[in-house]
Amino acid sequence: MNKFYILLISCLIGSQIASAQDYSNYATLVSRAQLLKKKYPSLVKVKSLTKTLGGKDIWMLTIGTGNVAEKPATAVVGGVEGAHLLGVELAIGFAEKLLAQSATDSIKNLLNQQTYYVFPNMSPDATEQYFAKLKYARSGNAKLTDDDRDGAFNEDAFEDLNGDGKITMMRVEDPTGEWITSLDDERVLIKADLTKGQKGKYLVLTEGIDNDKDGKFNEDGEGGVAFNKNMSYNYPNFVAGSGEHMVSELENRALLDFLFEAFNVYSVITFGPQNNLSTPVTFSKPGISKRVISSWYEEDVKVNDLVSKTYNKIVKAKNAPASKATEGNFADWAYFHYGRFSFSTPGWWLPETKPDTAKKQKAFIDKNEEISYLRWAEKENILGTFTPWKVVVHPDFPDSKVEIGGIDPFVLLNPPYKLVEKLVAEHTNFLIAISKMAPIVEPINIKTEKLPGGLTRISLDIVNNGAFATQTKVGEKSNWVKNIQVKLETSGKVLSGRANQTVGAITSYGKESLTWLISGSGKATITIASPSNGQKTVSVNL
Amino acid sequence: MNNYIKKHLFIYLILGGVFSAVAQESSQMFQAVGSPVNPKVVISWNKYYDYEGHVAIARNLEKAYPDLVKVQVIGKTAQGRDLILMAITDYKSGGNPDRKPGMYIDGNIHSNEIQGSEFASYTAWYLAESFSNNAYIKELLHDKIFYIVPSINPDGRDNFLQKPNNANSPRSGMIAVDNDRDGATNEDGFDDLDGNGHITMMRRKNINGRFKLDATDPRRMIQVGPDEQGEYEMLGYEGIDNDLDGQVNEDGEGFYDPNRDWAWNWQPNYIQGGAYKYPFSIPENRAVADFVLKHPNIAAAQSYHNNGGMILRGPGAAEDEGTYNREDVRVYDALGKKGEELIPGYKYLVVYKDLYSVFGGELDWFYGSRGIYTFSNELWNSFQYFSKADTDPQTTSYNFDKYLLFKDAFVDWKPFKHPQYGDIEIGGFKKTFGRTHPGFLLEADAHRNMAFTFYHAYHTPKLSVDEIEVKDLGNGLKEVTATIANKRLMPTHASQDLKYHIEVPDVISLTGGKVLAGMILQNKDLNIAKEQKINPAAIKVDNIEGLNSVMVRWIVQGGSKFEVKVDSKKGGIVERSN
Repeated sequence: MNKFYILLISCLIGSQIASAQDYSNYATLVSRAQLLKKKYPSLVKVKSLTKTLGGKDIWMLTIGTGNVAEKPATAVVGGVEGAHLLGVELAIGFAEKLLAQSATDSIKNLLNQQTYYVFPNMSPDATEQYFAKLKYARSGNAKLTDDDRDGAFNEDAFEDLNGDGKITMMRVEDPTGEWITSLDDERVLIKADLTKGQKGKYLVLTEGIDNDKDGKFNEDGEGGVAFNKNMSYNYPNFVAGSGEHMVSELENRALLDFLFEAFNVYSVITFGPQNNLSTPVTFSKPGISKRVISSWYEEDVKVNDLVSKTYNKIVKAKNAPASKATEGNFADWAYFHYGRFSFSTPGWWLPETKPDTAKKQKAFIDKNEEISYLRWAEKENILGTFTPWKVVVHPDFPDSKVEIGGIDPFVLLNPPYKLVEKLVAEHTNFLIAISKMAPIVEPINIKTEKLPGGLTRISLDIVNNGAFATQTKVGEKSNWVKNIQVKLETSGKVLSGRANQTVGAITSYGKESLTWLISGSGKATITIASPSNGQKTVSVNL
Repeated sequence: MNNYIKKHLFIYLILGGVFSAVAQESSQMFQAVGSPVNPKVVISWNKYYDYEGHVAIARNLEKAYPDLVKVQVIGKTAQGRDLILMAITDYKSGGNPDRKPGMYIDGNIHSNEIQGSEFASYTAWYLAESFSNNAYIKELLHDKIFYIVPSINPDGRDNFLQKPNNANSPRSGMIAVDNDRDGATNEDGFDDLDGNGHITMMRRKNINGRFKLDATDPRRMIQVGPDEQGEYEMLGYEGIDNDLDGQVNEDGEGFYDPNRDWAWNWQPNYIQGGAYKYPFSIPENRAVADFVLKHPNIAAAQSYHNNGGMILRGPGAAEDEGTYNREDVRVYDALGKKGEELIPGYKYLVVYKDLYSVFGGELDWFYGSRGIYTFSNELWNSFQYFSKADTDPQTTSYNFDKYLLFKDAFVDWKPFKHPQYGDIEIGGFKKTFGRTHPGFLLEADAHRNMAFTFYHAYHTPKLSVDEIEVKDLGNGLKEVTATIANKRLMPTHASQDLKYHIEVPDVISLTGGKVLAGMILQNKDLNIAKEQKINPAAIKVDNIEGLNSVMVRWIVQGGSKFEVKVDSKKGGIVERSN
């Protein structure tokens, strides 16, 4: 490609990113994916894995060259949580940024050696709620579900009582309420603390009416099964949004059907709520002592540690909140059930804001995300994301004071869009950096030793050039992770050593030594191959 | 005879039974009690049928008894066969068939465990053929519906029957798996070296081997004593090292275990050997699960395996011990102990304690996820050789073959030139011996196991509005009190169901008059009640326990003719007026 075209394409991409003012809805995401296919026809394939019940495609972008299925691969997964639009943006943004650099030597080289499978949005039915007439944080797909298991479906949804197009909170003055206003910021409600002598004043509910008069508010509205609650590891049975059984949903099944046959995948990157990149997981011996394990193995924790350090060097966001281990999530599945290195990050979280002494701000008494958000938003001049409490007439509380207000949906998980481009750039750089740690095997120390009577002894070491082991400790035991196949073809006769054998896991920068004794003359060819570690051939003369 | 001719001849024989005259005149036959004497669909129950054979039986029953048997295709197998289910009930009476309490039955989840299909088809046949002249069956089909899947694993069944195998192969279904993780699938399975359709054993004369011939029956190989010189070495099942990796028969059909695929406490294959990709990634199981999810009326279930003579209940995994609580165990115990009585030699056992502790079994999903009381029977055991408990089944099996099967079960040792082992001998028991019933014992055991499923099905809830009492309260108000009884052993909700609200509560509703208030009567004599303020005409009752009753009461304005309707997912629908 000549420089003119590179320049032209950079401009096009530049202008496209500059023109985007907000997160991408489904239609925009489709056009972004299709645009990549058009621009880089030799590097990108776009395919729909399935259609959701809401009629939206689950897209997969395959980025690479030649026989992509036989090169080590990374799966990049966004939109695992429907309210987390940034995850979609980071995944598709990674594809865009990587391909924009595909003319450079280093990325060209990378794409000759490795493959990326990018799944930008696993929850398209849910993310679309951000762009809908009524905005609310939604995780569930379009499956019709009976969330409260009362026999009725979607019978008690939110209502936009104040008509502002978004669902916020309701507070109801009630002597049995458990909530009070915070001393740090009176807009925010916190739970009364008995030990501090506090007594509650408000009931706090989501905005809406108790349509089915069961005493619960908005407990069964539109929004079915959540992708990130439907996976088989640590699955929550009989919980709203988890589905009737593990891996029940089309989206989950389609992705798993693909991944289980993609033996070349050695690592999975999730842009979602779980976070083992700011802080790596820790090893727990009791956690691996039962037959159902709940801890990463020690060797894999070391790899996570290295990857986390790399992340923190490139993505300079501090003070990440502790990762919440939610049940049935995808990132945990990718390690515990898929047996691959699994790294996950939300990509962004609320930065810490120091009190502004000029404004006479004080340090907070309560550790509360909403309070912190409001101070940060003020500093960043982000306006209109808090709805001031305002009295409404509510049919369920005819005799009480009911107010609607609070922080907008989405804003605690998703930064203002103007921050996204920088985050995409950092996360792309991080992904490129860890691709250099991929487990790629190579034969070294190849020796042929001539013995009397036309005998030849061949020996070699298969070395893992990667910081990642060729298999995780879970992968070592899984049917869904391939061993390295070593095949010897020769015109001579094999007296010792196997013509066909497999080599199991090789540790980070580790090796495995092999030897054969062959009689006769001619040639011997040794092929060393595994879908996730590449393929190499050695030829020797006998 | 090639397979094609065999199959078509077989279908002809079965169809012939339906449409042409039977071999003997009915006047020549006299009923042996308990068996249909002159069935419309003639089937001999002393042999095994491949999948097409069972489909033919189902279709013929449907043709002969359209008001009792309906066949549906519930999905496709991995190899593209239609997975069929027979829905059997009295379609002419008892109301909406899919609202009657249901009994689900399947067989053959493991490919080599074939006789479950014969047991399931026998059950379907027996119900249809006995309906017209047996009052018990008539009542059963009036009250209940049977959903029978003769083989939940048709691809595997046909592989076992039509391809060379041993009694243990294949357990897996037919989706190819790379067991040895070398990148190739099913590249080194058994080889039927002597071409007789049975994979038997290989032995080689070797004075350094550790086996010799048994003096009492020279067909049998026994281990020599610690200080004794051997005569033979055993080389395993018939096969060669096809892929030259130094291992023989290490990657054959499958391998995954369709009974480690169910979505209750499912675990991956590195924890639970045999698990496939994810729960219900096996298409046959998914089809059944989807069917069950759409049929909340299924209250009881039975799957047939082999072998060992066991009536098994969950939990399958020790980790699930707490799932099966006391109330439900009482129901299981009552049913299981009756099973021991009906099927002599069978023992009522708990999978994780008495067999092995495994995740992802079918019975755990049925119970844990759907609240359905479920058993798995391990059909056939050595008790049946000579109708007594057996301490040395190996020896007994040789005697049984010798004196009752006249050595039909054994392939005699014959010399063979093996490409890798040289001069060897091949011989041993046929694939249809050891785990499956010999012909003459098949029907008897099918009948006993069927009787157990009838008992199980009979005890799914049967609801009745026993009494409607109307009392005048003055001021134009009336008090209507209804007693709803469950006449059978099982509650409308297993306690697992109650704990997680798997199914919705039973709804007892009143029509006639204007309902002002409704309540569940907790103690009629002391007048203690719990009022339901919202929608009082339709009172929600969490559960109606087995052989027990609930009382509900309404305060009504106007009306004198009242109709009480009970709508229970697992107990069906009943109505009654005063």
